Amino acid sequence: MIRKVGQSIDAFVIYRRDLAHPELHAFRWAGRRYDVSQTNFVHSEREGETLYLCYSVTSAGDHFHLRLDTRAGRWTLEEMEMGP
Amino acid sequence: MSRCIVHLDMDSYFASVEQQAQPSLRNQPIGVTGKPTERSIITAFSREAKRYPVKTAMPVWEAQRHCPSLILVAGHPERYVETSKRFLEILKEYTVMIEVYSIDEVFMDVSQEAPRRGGPIAMARDIQRRFRDALGPCITATLGIASAGKTFAKLVGKRHKPNGIGLLRDEDIPQLLKTTHVGEMCGIGPRIERRLQQLGIYTLSDLGGASERLLRREFGVYGLFLHQLGLGRDLTPVVPYTEIPPPKSIGHSKTLPPELRDRSLALLVLRELADKVAARLRRLGYVCRTVHCGFRTGVLGPGYAKQATLALPSDDGETLYRACLSILDAIPLQPAEIALVAVSATQLLARDTLPDLLFEEDRRRARLNSAVDKIRTQYGDRSIRLGTSLLLKPLPPHVGGFIQEAWEFGVADRSAAP
Repeated sequence: MIRKVGQSIDAFVIYRRDLAHPELHAFRWAGRRYDVSQTNFVHSEREGETLYLCYSVTSAGDHFHLRLDTRAGRWTLEEMEMGP
Repeated sequence: MSRCIVHLDMDSYFASVEQQAQPSLRNQPIGVTGKPTERSIITAFSREAKRYPVKTAMPVWEAQRHCPSLILVAGHPERYVETSKRFLEILKEYTVMIEVYSIDEVFMDVSQEAPRRGGPIAMARDIQRRFRDALGPCITATLGIASAGKTFAKLVGKRHKPNGIGLLRDEDIPQLLKTTHVGEMCGIGPRIERRLQQLGIYTLSDLGGASERLLRREFGVYGLFLHQLGLGRDLTPVVPYTEIPPPKSIGHSKTLPPELRDRSLALLVLRELADKVAARLRRLGYVCRTVHCGFRTGVLGPGYAKQATLALPSDDGETLYRACLSILDAIPLQPAEIALVAVSATQLLARDTLPDLLFEEDRRRARLNSAVDKIRTQYGDRSIRLGTSLLLKPLPPHVGGFIQEAWEFGVADRSAAP
């Protein structure tokens, strides 16, 4: 089941020299820390000059879709899917 | 093997990308569609859905009849374009002789490179491994390899789907020609197949045995290509992405949902399409001399189209739209309902080869377009729009046809230097 969230979050990222985008390591939402076990897909979207990086990640069996506004450096948790 | 042509085809492409991005869709029968309504069509099925008798471009209602558990997924064109760019970057490490055939298909001429990489099979396995590491386990590709040419590489790849590698050895070609029906070959559609059958030609070996003169008389120059296929040869070269010629036309079409089929609303959509075509012309640095406009009265119904030559070459949406209106007026049929509208610009000229605009009104419009382009570049395509477009509810994004052409997404910075 997909749940729309749309909330700003804190993110822990690693900038790796061999990766085109920052690697999302963990994020904090609703007072809880979620460690990313798997990055499933990353793609970019552009709205005007603002480039967004869209992440699909898995944490503890649940799937999350997050978006990084690369201009503002702000992360948003867009939606979450409860695991199978 | 002196010549080595590889055809690479991504498996169930859009569906695989969606399954990679959304793990809850994995191992499920999914169908990617523009808008998950009964009236839409499915642009891609997952492997799981393909176990049912479904076909690409099948209407949703029909696909659901064949596969009741089908999950409809709205497509994300930006994901597919990005993945294509990513796999092309990987392929560029193997060779520059890459022809971008479509968003999920390429031909490569690796005649020089394959021997240095342990042979074509080892190279193909390496590409598949790199894809798995870089794109994820759901996004796989099938590779067909043949010295006989592009069409044969594509054929042998098709027979090893999904996630396979097919190699056509030279010694296997005679047997392949005997057992392959002409309709299986890329480039021989149902109409040509029917005409060949009327000549008693069913297999590739029949085609090779037919006289060149007969095929030339029936199909013109194409007959010579067909004859070569029958002899197990396709000498068509791989045209690398670096040498793709500039576009001959730029166009958009839109199939309208029933609520927008009233002629007056369809014309508003046409106005938006003309604006989009003009914006792309400006972005790529072109003006057009001819405008082509058409419509269909039913989604699969008859089409009507005409073209008009502009008094002066233009890249202005309003000018293109006015040309469209005069074209539509010239078509005798004036339907109350329109199911599809299309506009394209042809006879393109490079903007910078033309003299400056003479009349103040034209210069004013050029300044206006330039300002609108700047606003859209900075704030997005929907940041500034025609007031009339607000009468339309937002149309779904393009999924099936893809506005990006090979020359747009396959070549870095092409738009900057058309």
